[in-house]
Amino acid sequence: MKQVKSAVVGIGEVPSGKFPDRSELEAAMIVCREAILDAGLSPRDIDVILPVGALANSHWQVDLVFSRLCEELGMLRSVKMNCQVMAGGATSSSVLTVADALIASSQAKRVLVVHSDAVGSLPKQRGIDLFATTGVSEEWEAPYGHNMNAVGALAAARYMHETGTTEEEMAAVCVSLRKWAELNPHAMYRTPLTIEEVLSSKMIATPLRSRHCNMLADGASAFVVAAAEDAASITDSPVYVRGHGSLVTHYTLSQDTDLAKLGFVEAGRQAYAESGLGPKDIQLASIYDAYPVWPLISLDGLDLCRGERAGAFVAAGETDPGGSLPMTTNGGMLSMGHTAVGGGVAVLVESFRQLMGKAGERQVPNLVNAVETASGGTWMDSHVTILSREAA
Amino acid sequence: MTETQRPLPHATAWSAPYWDAARDKRFVIQHCTDCDRPIMYPRRFCPHCLNDTLEFRPSEGRGEIYTMTVQVAGPPSGFGDRLPYVVAVIRLDEGVQLMSNIVGDDRESARIGDRVRVDFETVEDGQTVLPVFRLERG
Repeated sequence: MKQVKSAVVGIGEVPSGKFPDRSELEAAMIVCREAILDAGLSPRDIDVILPVGALANSHWQVDLVFSRLCEELGMLRSVKMNCQVMAGGATSSSVLTVADALIASSQAKRVLVVHSDAVGSLPKQRGIDLFATTGVSEEWEAPYGHNMNAVGALAAARYMHETGTTEEEMAAVCVSLRKWAELNPHAMYRTPLTIEEVLSSKMIATPLRSRHCNMLADGASAFVVAAAEDAASITDSPVYVRGHGSLVTHYTLSQDTDLAKLGFVEAGRQAYAESGLGPKDIQLASIYDAYPVWPLISLDGLDLCRGERAGAFVAAGETDPGGSLPMTTNGGMLSMGHTAVGGGVAVLVESFRQLMGKAGERQVPNLVNAVETASGGTWMDSHVTILSREAA
Repeated sequence: MTETQRPLPHATAWSAPYWDAARDKRFVIQHCTDCDRPIMYPRRFCPHCLNDTLEFRPSEGRGEIYTMTVQVAGPPSGFGDRLPYVVAVIRLDEGVQLMSNIVGDDRESARIGDRVRVDFETVEDGQTVLPVFRLERG
């Protein structure tokens, strides 16, 4: 078991969706201010800022790298390091791991992590073409018309082939996430969704229909990580980082030899061991989605379905509000919106929000331990993080 | 409306023999001359032993569909006039995998596990030949 070194002490977020009048800078400023104030800190209490990568606007991305936020937030000559962490969808777990390590090695005391991007405001075809480059080989795969919806489809087809998961069960993932999004004022889609609506929506890339596919969105979120020994003096609701495990299984999807499992078994084993907790101790599963197959692979790999097949478990309503294992309670990228790298950050921030007891109408009662997952590119890696209200 | 041209492969020094062979309608797989293992996609060094002497050997181009999707809508730029097209991951008999298209009038009937064999498709520029796969039926 690993000694706990860090805790999250503040969070900030803006609604996801299409907000053409809200710039990436403005959204970043709102969420940083909110996270710092939520922690009861001031900007000059932050000594390291880790702005994560943005995809829609290259000048904004460069601004993030070159300390713009330090200047905007009044952190000049107090922040020691402004350094970007970028691992696509896996940035969430990766940046938390980096922050934890910086604190554990005394290189940082209080780390601000921020994401802000506006991929939802891109013209539709530009969005498709942008994501047809993320984890897609220009020489070997782009010439064959590969694209992000095909990524979700190719993995779904193999997973269904190996596990016997049905189209209805795939659709049930989207429906379960929507039930949570109905309770989330920051979500892009909040109207009820049925299995029939998913299965009668337009075919995009077999077996995926339009309601199986995420929608790109503008969004931003931030959080503050502090040393575990200081956390309780900063806030009365710290969230301790208990364990992490991860494994890179491919760059291009075609090179993964076990697409129906990826690396979640290995990553889960490592995270559980570090945390001293196991599947039975977990009351909330914050699972990176983007397409319905990924939560199923993650739930299976993490042994969270009490021996059942993940598809059957979700279809039985176990992950819904009131179910035995609430899952991705912000609605995930399928209902909250896919804000690029921020889709994963939002899932992570939702885990903190739930553990802090700040999730309002969708608050999971008696919550102590949560698991969070993430993956980047074409699900190149499998990340698992265990978070808790308890330091040990 | 003129559609943007589909993306074409730009060969590297070490992948050029693969694309040159395709232009001659031959399918080849890179192998390490030291550890003897097949390598896909072609690499600068052997990913198993980091040996720098690699060679291309002829392959029958036979294998099976590991996974596939029929792209019906929402394609990337340059593929609108090809719908519906099949994107597949092929597991070759040599044990390595690659992405390709399943082509032919029966392409939409393809299923995971089906046997396939390589064919060659000359793309619009007339210079580039892509290895593609057809169902082996009967």
